[in-house]
Amino acid sequence: MTNTLKIDALVVGGGIAGMQASLDLADQGYQVALVEKNPSVGGMMAGLSKVFPTLDCCSCITTPKMSAVAHHANISLMTYSEVQSVMGNEGDYQVRVMKKPRYVIEDECSGCRSCEMVCPLDLPDYDNEYGRGAHRVIYVPFSTAVPQKALIDIDNCIYCGKCLKACTTNAIDFAQQPEYVNIETTSIVLATGYKTTPYDAKKEYGGGRLRNVVHGMMVERLLAPTGAYGRQLRPSDGRQPDNIAYVQCAGSRDLTLGVDYCSRVCCMYAIKQAMLLAGALPMADITIYYMDIRAFGKGYEQFYENAKAMGIQFVKGKVARITEDENQNPILRVELIDQNSRVVERKHDLAVLSVGMLPGFDPNSMYGVPVDKDGFIKAPNPNISPTLTMREGIFATGTATGPMDIVDSIITAGAVAAEAAAYIQSHNGHRQLVAEQTERSVTHA
Amino acid sequence: MPEKDESQAKPREEPRIGVYVCNCGGNIGNVVACDNVARVLGKLPNVVTSHSHMFMCSDPGQNLIIDDIKEKGVNRVVIGACSLFLHEQTFRSAVERAGLNPYLYYHVGLREQVSWVHHDNPKEATDKATRMMMGGIAKARYMRPLEPVRLDAGKHALVIGGGVAGLRSALDIARRGLQVTLIEKSHYLGGHMAQWERVFPTHQKARVLLKELIERVLAEPNITIHTGAQVVRTQGYVGNFQIKIRQEPRGVHGAFPNEQEAVAVCPIKQRREFDYGLSTRKAIYRAYNGCVPESLVIDWENCTKCGECVKVAPEGMINLNEEAREFDLKVGAVVLATGFKPYEPLYGEMGWKEFPEVITLAQLHRLLDDEGPSDGKFYWNGHPVRDVAIIHCVGSRQIEGVHRPQPDGNVNNYCSRVCCTASMSMAALIRQKAPDAKVYDIYEDIRTYGRGHEDYYRNAGKEQVTFLRYFAEEIPEVMRADESADRPLLVKVKDHLTWGETIELPVDLVVLATGMMPNPVDDLIGMFKVSPGNDRFLLEVHPKLRPVETAVNGIVLAGTAQGPMNIQESCAAAGAAASKVAALLIQGEVELEPFVAVVDPERCNGSGKCIEHCPQEEALTLETFTENGRTFQRAVVTPANCNGCGVCAGVCPNRAIDVAGWRLDEFEAMVEAITDEIPAMEGAI
Repeated sequence: MTNTLKIDALVVGGGIAGMQASLDLADQGYQVALVEKNPSVGGMMAGLSKVFPTLDCCSCITTPKMSAVAHHANISLMTYSEVQSVMGNEGDYQVRVMKKPRYVIEDECSGCRSCEMVCPLDLPDYDNEYGRGAHRVIYVPFSTAVPQKALIDIDNCIYCGKCLKACTTNAIDFAQQPEYVNIETTSIVLATGYKTTPYDAKKEYGGGRLRNVVHGMMVERLLAPTGAYGRQLRPSDGRQPDNIAYVQCAGSRDLTLGVDYCSRVCCMYAIKQAMLLAGALPMADITIYYMDIRAFGKGYEQFYENAKAMGIQFVKGKVARITEDENQNPILRVELIDQNSRVVERKHDLAVLSVGMLPGFDPNSMYGVPVDKDGFIKAPNPNISPTLTMREGIFATGTATGPMDIVDSIITAGAVAAEAAAYIQSHNGHRQLVAEQTERSVTHA
Repeated sequence: MPEKDESQAKPREEPRIGVYVCNCGGNIGNVVACDNVARVLGKLPNVVTSHSHMFMCSDPGQNLIIDDIKEKGVNRVVIGACSLFLHEQTFRSAVERAGLNPYLYYHVGLREQVSWVHHDNPKEATDKATRMMMGGIAKARYMRPLEPVRLDAGKHALVIGGGVAGLRSALDIARRGLQVTLIEKSHYLGGHMAQWERVFPTHQKARVLLKELIERVLAEPNITIHTGAQVVRTQGYVGNFQIKIRQEPRGVHGAFPNEQEAVAVCPIKQRREFDYGLSTRKAIYRAYNGCVPESLVIDWENCTKCGECVKVAPEGMINLNEEAREFDLKVGAVVLATGFKPYEPLYGEMGWKEFPEVITLAQLHRLLDDEGPSDGKFYWNGHPVRDVAIIHCVGSRQIEGVHRPQPDGNVNNYCSRVCCTASMSMAALIRQKAPDAKVYDIYEDIRTYGRGHEDYYRNAGKEQVTFLRYFAEEIPEVMRADESADRPLLVKVKDHLTWGETIELPVDLVVLATGMMPNPVDDLIGMFKVSPGNDRFLLEVHPKLRPVETAVNGIVLAGTAQGPMNIQESCAAAGAAASKVAALLIQGEVELEPFVAVVDPERCNGSGKCIEHCPQEEALTLETFTENGRTFQRAVVTPANCNGCGVCAGVCPNRAIDVAGWRLDEFEAMVEAITDEIPAMEGAI
């Protein structure tokens, strides 16, 4: 079965930037389709603990927006879906979207999670917990996922049929096939986000090899109330760490990795995590090894000053290498630039690599939108029109256009909505824009 | 006719209250025993269901409420969670989706008012949370359905400020088919951007880029521009602001052939603001060549009206007796794009004003500009500049007790965001213009954070710029060198890149990378009732949830009025502001909160007390009615003008006036409930 959807804007990517752009366009009366490849919207932000500089719980910012995109009358939300092809010309794009089979009928599933209770198999949760937690073969992605619908990891399913029996709404369908939606749209907004630097990228740091070398996103999950453990512990022995090191620029500003840019967020998230860890582990020593502390945003410098006042140690120096002792304590070799440039080896019991941002997706082959030398989407006029791409009618926002934090992602999402809205307006000025008109132009072909 | 308050007359349905206590991901739950609170409250009369939840604002949390409304017949909702500023709208829309009137929900702040302030005392915090929730439940028993006040909105926005953010937001709003009036205080468009030599990260000429933008704005038929214009009075509310604007006269009407002569005969010499005082201008002048609007302008403050320019100009071109004009606008929303001013160092701060060889980064931009006061030659005092020291964080990242406060007692404890990359860009340009020059860059942290910015830092290194690092506690000193020295200044800095050694740098010029300060807009702050933050920039509601909106509905922020930003960030913020304005005005209708005064016609005897004390204009009037041959007076509310302050309720001798949603009976019930006994519970807290 193929559906056809006529819309004003297709937003690709349901992270914070894509959600905000969708809401800002939909609030202006435009019809929007939001396509997200994962089974839930929320993106990377949904996995964070608290956010700088307000220390709001991250879910309190992101989950209402997740809810809003699901319920907005002008937004068609397609999760677990991927764009397959993009045809057509400026202002008149035909996009084919595949809805991947969840093996659970979305309209029927009530999200009661009875299936999870009876499923006999646990799988490491790589998507949300970096392998630290587990989920069942049939599972709702996470507790605040939108939609709250189960899906089956079909490759690992043993077809025992327990979920079939447990499901109260007969939602399970092992024979489910992909569905396709043809979208006719005036504009496309790319909000395809970023991925973090693999933490084993810099071999000298031993990420993935040394057990007590973790990365920033793992610590987010340790600190998050929804995390797998609900407490702070180090991987090798489950002990609470009491001497934690942060290694800044682990994947940014590093020509040996081919990443010559600053990832913008790592200084602040390291400081934030250090503050949260200091709260959770009051006796712990926390040291941040940095090149430059880049606390540039509104309220960030004060946040940095607060961290210093809390006793978090800031040491200027680029960590050269991490090894470990017989107790698997990471040993950092570092030049203490502020202390006569001595080269020392310092023992900690947990080392956190402040990994940076890499482009999440190269849109060139699918969308004809080239990227710049840093791999992020190229902006032809970055100062005045930061959300334009090299192709008319296709716009970009959030970390698809370069590393940025949540505040800046939300701002550029508002900007892309303005840019796309103006474009749509000039293209279909005649089209009636009435928000109350909730009747969608969906036809079955 | 005065409205008859039906909700009081008709027998109310039995309240069936749903109670929800949010853990806020631990923000509340780590202090307040939320499960216990929910259990205790579940015992109260009328409470049908009571839950605690990790994230009430998430979709599953919202669905819990919706299901209870639909399945358990809950008709009043009380939620204890974060501040209502964050999620009142979220929960209202959830309640509404379930088919219940959204005003039958009450929000208790358990985070800001309880867990955050009492984190050291969980037991008492739990007790307080319970009591506050009991108050909410008591109020819920009295809550009545309300309807928002719906009003026509003008499809017209006012943008205040003609810098890059104002221009960009005007363009974005106008492109959505809305009318825009753009006012600019000075007599030309472009703001500070016109003064920059080049912009990063593209290394384009700033004025070329600006000109393109201005041309797009001028070509947009929906935009009307007034330069030399300021807001003098405001009234009204979202959708319907009445704004009085005063426009200073230009004095000159268009271009004429012998402009140069007219300028030459003017006897007055003034500091040229555009060059930050590096050059002078006359009292009849043009800000810079190519500025928009292009015609000359009279500096009324300094013009003596000697009439020399009038004599040489063609008749009617110059009018020294032109008067300012005032006119009124009606707009639906306002964008504040009032921009920044560079920090002005204090006398003697790193040699500022003490030594003429100390300039600011903004002045350096003018000095290196091909169209600047030295035609782009890197000269100072008539001599080529050889060695330069750039000192970062002047007027930024200041620490109380370390840095000298400004006259108002403030220090700027924020990072100004743009100075690092701007300094790197300028350092490299100096090396290009003067390949033999030594450039010393004295910094705390190099914050070349943006896309392409790091290239400028690396490039400065390649250009052999020498970096020295100081700590805020050890501010570099700028002093006069010995007469025998061949460089006029000496910069003394304790450099932490070379073993903390104190290094003395002989230089010709010291450049202070001064930060950004908000333009002083106290008048606008007062008129629009928006708030500045601790950093004195204008404050948004929430940096992530509502990053460009102010607490006043219909007033949004764009650009550096809100905080330091570069041009790219200003344009993005301007776009975001335009999106909000478009969403607000495109329907031609706005909704206001229903929390306005209501008069009980049975009780009002027309005493007029409420009108006497009402602080709002035209919110309350006394009107004469005739019913059954009897003539009497009664207070009448104009909901659009009422801000729900409740002064009237306090002064009415007959309890005849109340604020909808906040009635006295509700308050009384809340006070009673908060001071009541907490129901006992097995297992205790």
